Amino acid sequence: MSNLAVLPILIPLLSGIIAALMNRKQRAVRVFSTIMMLVNLGVTAYIGWYVFQNGPVILETGGWKAPYGIILVGDMLAILLVITTNIIGLACVFFAPKSLSEKQESFYFYTFFFMLISGVSGAFLTGDLFNLFVFFEVLLMASYGLITLGGEKVQFRESIKYVLINLFSSILFVTVVSFLYSVVGTVNMAQIADRVQDVEQKGILTTIGILLFFVFATKAAVFPLYYWLPKSYVVPNPVVSALFGALLTKVGIYSILRMFTIIFVHEVDLTHQLFLWLAALTMVFGVVGALSTNNIKLIVTYNIIPAVGFMLMGIGIFTEVSIAGTVYYLIHDMVVKGALFLLVGAIAYLAGTSDLRKMHGLIHHYPVIGWLFFIACITLAGIPPFSGFIGKILLLKGGLAQDQIFIVIIGLITSLLILFSMIRIFIQGFWGEKDESFQPDKPKARAFAWPIGFLVFFSVFLGVGAEFVYPIVDEISNTLLDPSIYIESVLKE
Amino acid sequence: MLTAIFLPLILACFIPLISKWKYSIHTGWFVLIIPFSIFVYLIQQVGTRFSPFEKTYPWIPSMDIHFDLYLDGLSLLFGLLISGIGTLVVLYSIYYLHKSEQLGHFYLYLLMFMSAMFGVVFSDNVYVLYTFWELTSLSSFLLIGYWNHRKGSRYGALKSMLITVFGGLSMLGGLLLLTIVTDTTSIQEMISQKETIMNSPQFGWIIAFLFLGAFTKSAQFPFHIWLPDAMEAPTPVSAYLHSATMVKAGIFLIARFSPILSQSDWFFIIVSGFGILTLCWGSFMAVRQTDLKGILAYSTISQLGMIMAMLGFGTKIAVFAAVFHILNHATFKGSLFMVAGIVDHETGTRDIRKLGGLMTFMPITATLAFFGTFSMAGFPLPFLNGFYSKELFFDAALLHHFSVDGFAQLLKVIIPYLAVFGSIFTFVYSMYLVFGTFRGEYKEKELKTKPHEAPIGMLISPIVLVLGVIIIGLFPNLFNESFLAHAAQSIKGVEIHKKIKFWHGFNSIPLYMSLAVVAIGSILAYTRKRWSSVYNVIPGTLSFNRVYDWLVDKTTAYSEVVTESYMSGSLKHYVRYILIAILVVTFGTLWLTTDLTISNPDLASIGIPDMLVVSMMVIASVATIFTNNRIAAILILGVVGYGLAILFVIYRAPDLALTQLIIETVTVALFLLVFMHLPKLEKRNESKGTVFFNATVSILFGAMMTFVAIFSYSSKWFEPISDYFLETAVSLGGGHNVVNVILVDMRGLDTLFEIAVLGIAALGIYGMIKLRRDKGEK
Amino acid sequence: MEIVTSILSGILFATGIYNLLQKQLLRIIIGTALMSHGAHLFILTMGKLKRGKPPIIVEGVENYVDPLPQALILTSIVISFGVTSFLLVLAYRASRLNGTDNMEELRGNENE
Repeated sequence: MSNLAVLPILIPLLSGIIAALMNRKQRAVRVFSTIMMLVNLGVTAYIGWYVFQNGPVILETGGWKAPYGIILVGDMLAILLVITTNIIGLACVFFAPKSLSEKQESFYFYTFFFMLISGVSGAFLTGDLFNLFVFFEVLLMASYGLITLGGEKVQFRESIKYVLINLFSSILFVTVVSFLYSVVGTVNMAQIADRVQDVEQKGILTTIGILLFFVFATKAAVFPLYYWLPKSYVVPNPVVSALFGALLTKVGIYSILRMFTIIFVHEVDLTHQLFLWLAALTMVFGVVGALSTNNIKLIVTYNIIPAVGFMLMGIGIFTEVSIAGTVYYLIHDMVVKGALFLLVGAIAYLAGTSDLRKMHGLIHHYPVIGWLFFIACITLAGIPPFSGFIGKILLLKGGLAQDQIFIVIIGLITSLLILFSMIRIFIQGFWGEKDESFQPDKPKARAFAWPIGFLVFFSVFLGVGAEFVYPIVDEISNTLLDPSIYIESVLKE
Repeated sequence: MLTAIFLPLILACFIPLISKWKYSIHTGWFVLIIPFSIFVYLIQQVGTRFSPFEKTYPWIPSMDIHFDLYLDGLSLLFGLLISGIGTLVVLYSIYYLHKSEQLGHFYLYLLMFMSAMFGVVFSDNVYVLYTFWELTSLSSFLLIGYWNHRKGSRYGALKSMLITVFGGLSMLGGLLLLTIVTDTTSIQEMISQKETIMNSPQFGWIIAFLFLGAFTKSAQFPFHIWLPDAMEAPTPVSAYLHSATMVKAGIFLIARFSPILSQSDWFFIIVSGFGILTLCWGSFMAVRQTDLKGILAYSTISQLGMIMAMLGFGTKIAVFAAVFHILNHATFKGSLFMVAGIVDHETGTRDIRKLGGLMTFMPITATLAFFGTFSMAGFPLPFLNGFYSKELFFDAALLHHFSVDGFAQLLKVIIPYLAVFGSIFTFVYSMYLVFGTFRGEYKEKELKTKPHEAPIGMLISPIVLVLGVIIIGLFPNLFNESFLAHAAQSIKGVEIHKKIKFWHGFNSIPLYMSLAVVAIGSILAYTRKRWSSVYNVIPGTLSFNRVYDWLVDKTTAYSEVVTESYMSGSLKHYVRYILIAILVVTFGTLWLTTDLTISNPDLASIGIPDMLVVSMMVIASVATIFTNNRIAAILILGVVGYGLAILFVIYRAPDLALTQLIIETVTVALFLLVFMHLPKLEKRNESKGTVFFNATVSILFGAMMTFVAIFSYSSKWFEPISDYFLETAVSLGGGHNVVNVILVDMRGLDTLFEIAVLGIAALGIYGMIKLRRDKGEK
Repeated sequence: MEIVTSILSGILFATGIYNLLQKQLLRIIIGTALMSHGAHLFILTMGKLKRGKPPIIVEGVENYVDPLPQALILTSIVISFGVTSFLLVLAYRASRLNGTDNMEELRGNENE
């Protein structure tokens, strides 16, 4: 059964290739992509169930035993994130035909899309540091393809910055992997963890850990490294922004979470304290950015950053509760950001502008979109009983239990400002006088509403139905805080 | 009780359906059933033998979040208010709101609010409490913004939301601290552990967080500013949310937690201090309002302050008086809001300057208003409930049997004077309200329509409330034992029995306080116009509204300034920030964690050919900086690449050398191809500072990488796993070239996806080039 | 020798970064290319240099150099080739469309 672990990577890879081959027949590609996403979601859900019943699935690719070959580790955390990825993917694949022009679709959107899903899933599943680099490259390359899709002037302008900064961090990534290899003689994450533990992370190891943190922090958009993010997420098509906003930064956060819960955990006073500071700064600067603009897409994009701050805060506090908070927030944020990016994309399309100052009274024309947006807004701000709340109370509780009052207060204020920045869109854009001359595009709005509603539904479920998810997250948090579980399950000592 | 909470919510789901028939039957009639049946259910609980009980339903048990519903005297009192006033308000709204309004939305929000409010008062679980607490803020936001085409509505909605959610978040902080300290999520269990809480080091934070939550919700000074703007909501909403129920949630919170918190002197100082301040400020400000609902809003603020102050005293009589006043306030203020609504509805304005002499046109409404205002003013008449609670308030404010010291002592001394001061203005605005509207001359020109008495349906609700005023006034002890005593007990923790009397004899100080209020109040009210300059003097620049506006404005403005200042869009800046961050932190970590000595590692010998290649590469790489010719630059880059290939040969990596050679050639070709079409390299004309800065950053970064590399190299503490590859390449991998075996077998997955990357890159490039052609054809 | 190659790699990084901090796209891309050369050299160095024969199993030979870094470099070279080619075409298209290859003129502060 351990072969299961490779399916979430392989299915999208093959689907992407087939989609490229079928490129001439766009309608067929659409149907095919939808079916394959459904299949993939089904398969991952099954794996999730299987892991839930029987524990992690660990695949030694090519039959090379750990730590020598590349190991895929389908533990609960990885699988949960892969499932979430596929849920977002499914929503996007439904949204895509309505949002993309036919030309954009025919320039291999679906191939890039599947490659992105494959890369993201691979990054979640792999248990090998160098392999993680490779999957990062896969997802980045796919994202380069997606961000330039459409070929607008602004797209090229912003994407070149995006590519360059990511390229820089990739180069740093391989280099740091080699440093680590020099010290511990392996690239298998479990074995690295084991060996780092043996020498108690002495000497150069912490520095290497910090460098690795910077590599992932660049992808995750942590405070002094997120400059590339806002504008480059605004320029592509909404469906692409949604994929980016929901998945890319989260891969970075996931990697930090893995590295700094199973490997670099012996200098917590230094590393994790640093994370707390950075988390606070990330929250503040992120939300300040969100308040600084009237472009609705940019507001949502900036709101990625404080969320990253929240998750980093959980890692920094480093207790069972706070890590559970980070994991919960991670899942929540993937779903809600996906929904929000699709929403603002839809709003900008329907209103004909993404400038908030030029909109008003949209609720009279598009009530469903308006209310979905309202729910997504308050979910994002962490108002109960929606999903943001569960993650947030865990994080805050974790912080308070460790006497980190300062960061908790920052977190609370940030939540308020997030709400402010988002509700502004609702008040200015949706409320107000009905514009009688406005010609609403109702069928389009309805078409947009379905995939968005699907994501919002999940986000509500994550809050109201937390009982179905939280015990799993709690278990994950337990496992993360005890590296030996991970090490033993991979190395089978 | 769970039904009580969720019944409104469930009906709310069907409202969109029901409201489709709104033209045949007003949606309100369906809604009316809900609060009424809950009221009937709750009223059955009232009785002397009532004892608190609890019910638990699981929600998220793994996080210790349950629907722990707890019904004691306090929650029963609030439950009855919510359902009782709720019934009347819905009834009133049926006549107030025309069928052409968006009734579906209105009742949806209203029911949502009702659910939330029941949730707040019945929850014993702090998380559930918080959930419903925020839900009340949200529904209030939606209700204030109900007429969202008005600018004022939008402004008021945002303001109320920001302030109450701010308080809500702060309260969440306090509640979380409580759960951490006591390790339980149940309020009752927390109360039983009050010693632990008192002695915990976080006690100060708990108090601060919780009070902030309560004060914002109950519109205490200086957070009161949202309430007047919330008056943009339809009048039934103002009567319900912003007078009778939601704003009392803060009072409820303080009352709920006072068994825990009231032990501390700070409780008295903060709660009473802010309460009494709010009382004075609110009543003083009310006098200068011109909008009927504005007067009522400030009046509500001051009355809430009064209740808050009494809770802060925490004596038996004060707690009892607080409970009593919660009930009384709901009756008279509810009726007054409805009267204001009627006036607005029938005359088309709420501006008191345009009103006057309405007595003749609306006798019933006027009568109702007289009862309401005189009760509010605390006029000593035996059939006005307001007088009794005002007397009790004065009695409590004297603070007998209350020993404190320090600042609290000072507060204790001045509180009675402040109480009288505040009450005087209460009297003034009450008189102003009723006489200004119903007596005086009728200003025909100011009104668009001729006023007339309201339909009977609209009058029913205020009549019921005024009857409440009179009945409580005539029989003040009617609900004492069966009802109020339970509520007071659940706040104070001990049994409280109190007989309310109209007449205490001549030697009671409260009597003289009351008389002083009436006497001075009458004079001031009569001569109000002369004082108008005094009323307008104080605020203005002092106004907290300005602080709020300033904060909101500046937050956005400064955000823009800050963000624009570093998000310049310049790649150079971004790279700089990133590099500096990495440099600072990494060097810091190096300094802190590594003893900066290089152990003598096992090094390879330095060979002459290696050194030649190395120096060539150094020269070439530095030359890329200085050359100003693009072809030269590309070729020099090629030199570095080929140099690397030679190094690969020297260092026994034939496959690498081969690959590097091929790829370098292709890359150089590509470079040349692409950059033939681009502008030529310009001379670098940067300032010396920039050059120096860039050079420093680059050199430091290169140095950092070298340092880390050397340290890593000299810390080879483990055998590399690659020995295994060497051993098994032939036996298991079936190949002699180990690198190849690794690539295609052991790390086959890497290779597979490496090819995938190439494939995607190819498609991306194809897309970019093809798209240009398509555009070119146009 | 490892120290020498480490320093060389450091220099490659330094010159790469310096180029990255320039305005013109061509220089910037040259900078990234230099850095990836530096990275590859680092990887090779970390696996120890010249400690035996090339990792092609020949009977009778006991010592081989570490093959794993070589495999990693090979993967990395191919990937950076892919990215660099993409980047080159992107740079070409971007500067053509925007009419400049000066990154300082490609800031874009307006609210799109």
